Amino acid sequence: MNLAQNRADELFRSEVASWLEQNLSGEFAQLRHRGGPGDEHSFVEERKAWEQCMAAGGWTCIGWPEQHGGRGASIEQQVIFNEEYARAGGPGRIGHIGETLMGPTLIAYGSAEQQARYLPGIREGREFWCQGYSEPSAGSDLGNVKTRAEQAAESGEWRINGQKVWTSWATESNYCFVVARTQPGSVGHKGLGFFMVALDQPGVTVKPIEQLTGSSEFNEVFFDDAVCADSDLVGGPEQGWQVAMALLGFERGVSTLGQQMLFQNELDEVIALAKSNGSYRDVTIRQRIATAHTGLRIMRYNSMRMLAGGEDGSLSKEAMIYKLYWSSWHRNLGNLAMDVMGAQAQLLAGDGYQLSRLQGLFLYSRADTIYGGTNQIQRNLIAERALGMPREPRG
Amino acid sequence: MDFTFSQDQLMFQEALTTLLASEAPADRIRARWQSDSGLDAALEQQLVELGLAGMLVPEALGGLGLDATDFIKLAETCGQFALPEPAVEQALVAAPLLADICTASGAERAESVLGELIGGGCRVAVGHILNPYINFAANADYFLLGHGGDVHLLPAAQVTLSAVKSVDPSRRLAAVSWQPSKATLLADGELGAACWRAALNRGALGNAAQLIGLADAMVKQAVAYAADRQQFGKPIGVNQAVKHLLADCAVQIEFARPPVYRAAYTVAQAATRADWAVSHAKVVAGEAAQLAARNCIQVFGAMGYTWECDLQIWAKRSWVLDREWGDPGFHKNRVHEWLVQPNALIGPEYTFGRGDQPHAH
Repeated sequence: MNLAQNRADELFRSEVASWLEQNLSGEFAQLRHRGGPGDEHSFVEERKAWEQCMAAGGWTCIGWPEQHGGRGASIEQQVIFNEEYARAGGPGRIGHIGETLMGPTLIAYGSAEQQARYLPGIREGREFWCQGYSEPSAGSDLGNVKTRAEQAAESGEWRINGQKVWTSWATESNYCFVVARTQPGSVGHKGLGFFMVALDQPGVTVKPIEQLTGSSEFNEVFFDDAVCADSDLVGGPEQGWQVAMALLGFERGVSTLGQQMLFQNELDEVIALAKSNGSYRDVTIRQRIATAHTGLRIMRYNSMRMLAGGEDGSLSKEAMIYKLYWSSWHRNLGNLAMDVMGAQAQLLAGDGYQLSRLQGLFLYSRADTIYGGTNQIQRNLIAERALGMPREPRG
Repeated sequence: MDFTFSQDQLMFQEALTTLLASEAPADRIRARWQSDSGLDAALEQQLVELGLAGMLVPEALGGLGLDATDFIKLAETCGQFALPEPAVEQALVAAPLLADICTASGAERAESVLGELIGGGCRVAVGHILNPYINFAANADYFLLGHGGDVHLLPAAQVTLSAVKSVDPSRRLAAVSWQPSKATLLADGELGAACWRAALNRGALGNAAQLIGLADAMVKQAVAYAADRQQFGKPIGVNQAVKHLLADCAVQIEFARPPVYRAAYTVAQAATRADWAVSHAKVVAGEAAQLAARNCIQVFGAMGYTWECDLQIWAKRSWVLDREWGDPGFHKNRVHEWLVQPNALIGPEYTFGRGDQPHAH
């Protein structure tokens, strides 16, 4: 155990900070603190341009190995980068699904041809990805995927039919990675494939879903004879589940630390408001602020601990508890923010159904305990996989 | 102590339930979000015909002469249906406030407005200092407003409104600015202060009862969804993790009900001396509704997070009513102040005996 930061990392930190300071200026200055939860649809084109600016500076995909265009940055450096990015108010990353999910999955499981075809687009901030897992009847029961993929005998090309739902960023993405059933009649985790499907084709329709926040981050994606080349299947036609699960393992990786800096920014805003509107004098508010602070520190320490392992996307015990912890913590922060806002909490910020940042935090955090595995599913995972308790009967 | 409601009280509730079930379904509440006023005037008239507006007004002043224990189940029912119309506030706050002043001082202006209100001829909005915004202010014909401890009555033409938007699309809020004058003054001194104190307790009581109704309705929706939604080849409701979420809500709601009914009794006996009971009710009803909103959204999963899902109507109302007429911190402080005062009548001999009766501070 060594929790001190070394000299090289300190230099790295100042390098990141000064690059961001110089570049989050001019046309990009307006992007600071924008595009986060509740604000996803602000400045989309500008943020895509920002991704390319970051890529030109070599600041996308820094954790990828050098051979794939990354910097091979150490865990500590990736942490530092994410912290400084959030501290500088860097805008919500449109490229994060490609950078943190698809890229690492291709690096671990993709063919050399697939890596050469797709990694540069992600790294250069040109091509954006979304995730096609959930379906109307496959939420917590992800194995109940009904989307079908059929292969033409001569061309080897796949035709995809079915519907995905709760797909973030589908309207802005170029590709979707889709879990689909390759073996007719198969059930559960067997007989699934993992496909990289281009969204800009006649067989794909994207429909936004309006949320109780009044905005639409999620979408329904319909596949009607959508075409996918055989070379865009990752792993074999029956290895989809394994690839899909490994990808979820990457989800709980380094990007969680950037997320924590966003949380820190939110907590700082809550504290600043409590000071300015006097609600900090309420002893229960003070105690909850302290509890929020200690919870965030715990998350940070545990993240550092869990990042020490799991490079193949497999989950360690430390990682299994993370989703449950942060989602509950964040939902509570939303409640605290509303109590600190007091009477102002009930007012919308402007025309339409426009939420302030803290209202957005409150309403958006209602979804945190649902997406990416509900708290109930997380507890089952912890009990069954981490503690080895008997499995709940399924099906 | 007998918490049983009478046959008449329950029949009144049933009549209101029947009316709201047919006239205030979720799709019609959504339709109000698009309308100019946000109100269903025809339904308001039906509520007046049912006798709601004058229910708590003494018979001598043209009302039904009933009290808060007769009304409490009706307020709960309004919560059950997430009724947007401010029927609870009209009947439980505005009308009794006017009636108190009529009884104490015989103010003619108050009596004429009260007569109109009971007959459904006008809407009266109440602006208490704890509530910076007034719901449906733009639709009000008269305003009861506070200046220090004084109560003023102003026609709508004499106030200036600045509209603000609520996170609950069923509400239409505005801040009110106005000038007090001798002509607008209705009650001052001890009477004025007592009126505001009673108004706060009645308003908070009305919200507590609505919160219970809201919570109960959310749980019913989630129970139905959990039986319907299939995952792993069976309804999600078979999973303990899902069942327990809703069982926790049921426990909180049932334990919040008696304090709410108790507070109604205390308000009926002496609305100005009901702080301790009302605050207790408001805190626990708010907690039950907050838990229900949270857990029911969770049971609905991602669906519960969509605009299309009706649950948001109830959840958003719960979030705002919990903060109106005193937020949880305010009411916890009132309980706390009552407990630590040197003459607090606490201890075993008071828990179920004299100490449970309304008493002077």
